Amino acid sequence: MTTAARTGGSAPELLGTLAADHATGALSTESGIFYLSAGHVVHVESAYSPDLGDLLTRSGAVAPAGWWDAVERAGAVHRVGRQLVDSGRLTTGALELCHLGALFDAAYFALAHGGAALRFRPGVAHWLGAVRPVPVATVLRESRRRRDLLHRIWPDPAVDTAPLIRAAGGGADRLPPRRGRTLALVDGGRTAAQIASVLAHRTFHTLVELRRLAADGLVTPAPPPPATPVHSVPDAGGAAWDEPDTALLRRLLDALEAL
Amino acid sequence: MPGIDESLLEAMRLPGARGALVVDWISGLALGAVGDAPGGDAEATAAETAELARQAMESGTLAPADDGGTGTVGKEPPVEDLILTSADAYHLLRFVVTTFDSTVFLYLWLDRADGNLALARIRLAEMADRLVLG
Repeated sequence: MTTAARTGGSAPELLGTLAADHATGALSTESGIFYLSAGHVVHVESAYSPDLGDLLTRSGAVAPAGWWDAVERAGAVHRVGRQLVDSGRLTTGALELCHLGALFDAAYFALAHGGAALRFRPGVAHWLGAVRPVPVATVLRESRRRRDLLHRIWPDPAVDTAPLIRAAGGGADRLPPRRGRTLALVDGGRTAAQIASVLAHRTFHTLVELRRLAADGLVTPAPPPPATPVHSVPDAGGAAWDEPDTALLRRLLDALEAL
Repeated sequence: MPGIDESLLEAMRLPGARGALVVDWISGLALGAVGDAPGGDAEATAAETAELARQAMESGTLAPADDGGTGTVGKEPPVEDLILTSADAYHLLRFVVTTFDSTVFLYLWLDRADGNLALARIRLAEMADRLVLG
């Protein structure tokens, strides 16, 4: 396996090939990075979903100082996850639950924005280390299932990416707690990913709540605004920078229509 | 210190245990599976029990009443566990309480003839606590 920009294949196809080859390394898509070890997915990052550190520290599960201490001590040897457990900051179970939550969340977004700009860097490992490796096929199947789940709840993908505004629906005072907290952050400017970030929730789980709110008529996407992206993407081209939300929306629509 | 697999294997040591899962009740994903699943499909079991769990979690009517003092009202989870019985089995769901964003429960499939529902419910609650608290 060589370092090369690949053309012709989709991210799922390339992941399938890498799994069959028992490959180790990092596969970058337009919106995320898959870390593989011996053909299994050990970690995924995406600019659209909070990472493990965000989920743990912003919720108070691990103090920020404790998190950074673990990163400093064990980052260079790719054992930060192990270090969090060995130093007594998290149980193995808590680490696995939070890690898998972050992994599948990021994988959904790393695959959602279909694009051919794929790059595989052999041998590259993530500083977190292996916590609970997942077969590539499981990750791909789950991402497809999640897309279908969102579509069944409310088939408007604009909810996922556009700034959201509150609509004058009834029943907002009787929502389940999680959905109520999500609605409280809909302010006309925030996108789903920004709301997830404020809540320290996984973004996909926030999308589920927001699509349910949209189905109930309580939330609607704002008309296309001149919005800024949640995170700046260092390698993004000028065109993507000029009109981030429109481009994103188009790719999502294309991906959904291609199903 | 137990991880997901150790907790599930411990659940399988209960009398009459046929299968155990850790399931995310918002996405319907099985994060871990040990033993058999009703109908032979752990992923389908995860998705369907997740839907049950979600309905229970989101029911305002079944949530604890406002007692004006304990500070528990409005905190998740409003439901501790679900028990579903059928002619040949008990199905137990126990919600796992975490400080970070996590929406999971332990699921246990028990044979009705060999299982002890009261014991299994107590043990599953202990396993759910130990999974995240040590």
